Amino acid sequence: MSEQQLVAILPHILLSALILIQMMVIAFARNLMTTVVISVIALILTGLAFMPAHSLIPIAVTPLIVLDGYAIFYSGLILMSATAVTLMAYDYFKDRGERQDEFFMLLLLATLGALILVCSSHFASLILGLELLGVSLYTMISYPQKGLLTLEAALKYLILSGVSSTFILFGTALIYAISGSLGFAELATIGSAENGTSELFLAAGSALIFGGIMFKLSLAPFHMWTPDVYEGAPAPVTAFVATVSKGAIFAITLRLFTSSGLIETSSILTGLSIVAILSMLAGNLLALRQDNVKRILAYSSIAHLGYLMVAFITAGMIGGKALAVESSSYFLFAYFITTLGAFGVVTIVSLRDHEKDAGDISYYEGLFWHRPLLAMMFTLTLLSLAGIPLTVGFIGKFYIFTAGVTTTLWLLLLAVIAGSGIGLFYYLRIIFAMTKRTDAGASEIEIPLAGGWAVAAISAAMLLFGIYPAPIINLINNLVSSIA
Amino acid sequence: MDPIAVPIEQGLALASILFAIGLTGVMVRRNIIVILMSLEVMLNACALAFIVAGAKWGEADGQIMFMLILSVAAAEVAVGLGLLLQINRRVGSIDIDEISRLRG
Repeated sequence: MSEQQLVAILPHILLSALILIQMMVIAFARNLMTTVVISVIALILTGLAFMPAHSLIPIAVTPLIVLDGYAIFYSGLILMSATAVTLMAYDYFKDRGERQDEFFMLLLLATLGALILVCSSHFASLILGLELLGVSLYTMISYPQKGLLTLEAALKYLILSGVSSTFILFGTALIYAISGSLGFAELATIGSAENGTSELFLAAGSALIFGGIMFKLSLAPFHMWTPDVYEGAPAPVTAFVATVSKGAIFAITLRLFTSSGLIETSSILTGLSIVAILSMLAGNLLALRQDNVKRILAYSSIAHLGYLMVAFITAGMIGGKALAVESSSYFLFAYFITTLGAFGVVTIVSLRDHEKDAGDISYYEGLFWHRPLLAMMFTLTLLSLAGIPLTVGFIGKFYIFTAGVTTTLWLLLLAVIAGSGIGLFYYLRIIFAMTKRTDAGASEIEIPLAGGWAVAAISAAMLLFGIYPAPIINLINNLVSSIA
Repeated sequence: MDPIAVPIEQGLALASILFAIGLTGVMVRRNIIVILMSLEVMLNACALAFIVAGAKWGEADGQIMFMLILSVAAAEVAVGLGLLLQINRRVGSIDIDEISRLRG
């Protein structure tokens, strides 16, 4: 391995080393504050460690890992959300008994898995990243030992995530059986298989892989676990599942399907379109019947992943690859900060009750009159989820539209419009609940320091990049073009 | 000396059957231990498919993936059994229907 390659994977090496240091510190001098400070420093240092690699990209480090602008952009997003989740989790766990330190180590491990995932170019590193992320998440979901809901959510997530991993593995094995290679780029050469058997294997293999990925991305019809896990998991962990886990898996899926050329198969595109339309409709329609804010956000995330699939499908159209990468990157950026803001508020409202999280909509009644700033931030995130102008969510959805119009995907655009219309209803319901005049509930909410600042910063970013999106668009154009 | 070659189709067919058995087990059975066992069967079916495919190409890649899957399976089941112990201590049952409270 050359010196340059070592520099390229410096962030991963550094984060692994810091996790070990943190483990030792927890073992010998257990202190929640120290652990959290180490976590935040580790995340920032890892981000800074991408700087020296920036001049080398794109660079392949062994056949397993490739570091390019695309990987750096998504690594940055992941590190940013992991930092926000760390701050929220500190508020959430600091008053809930002793021995909460290991949670932050698991959070760093899951982040490491996501970082490996976004820069993998080989099925072995894909599985490694996926499982590092997954196994840490099972433990994180079940971490608070109170109540049965967290255990049930963790067990459901474990079984379904395990099954979807086996789908991905079996699909990989089938493709390996005909291609003789586990790298993504090498798959492109066998894309146009001559004889019938290998074509069948390729189709079955990619269908299995995509089935597994649909589970992980919570796309309909494999979305059933999402609301249960969102409701059962502690609010900061839900934020992590919704952003880092889904974002990293989407990033690697886009890389896998574009660099192997699998996406240009017409049967796969038809299947993807059906999945996208189903997710948009199912997500938005099922959310109408919910009274639980965490479940509403779960269904909303199913719908958002459906919108994201429109950009994904664009990648398979002629001349759509660059636009697909650009639009999905911006949409994911918008989705990341909006979701983090929403779950940040849910975390703050949940601090009062140690037995269960603030899921039910009644927790939010009267929030406008007692905690106006918090309520305004929550309103902003909900409007951003709905895609109202002047928020970052609007620009994200605008990008999806541009991608769809350029490649003339009219049916999908129709579903996006219908979904957004229905979506407004349940987002506004939460806002109306917050304006209700009542003395119960919301008056006792105290805004913590770390989480409060995190949510405030996220809200500011949501407005800033909604009004002036140019810096992020330039960043995406500079970095992300490398994959296409 | 040439080892007795198993045709790749037969090997993959066996793996597919094992995979289907595991998947059926996960979906039909209600006992959490049996579900975790079925998950293990599915993971091992994948591992077998990799061995067969690796043998076809005469490469070590398939066997390396097998090792990777072994460790993944161990990690998943370790966490799964930990959760199972907690659930059993609290509910006194390991039936997945009895612990199910999240709905909607």
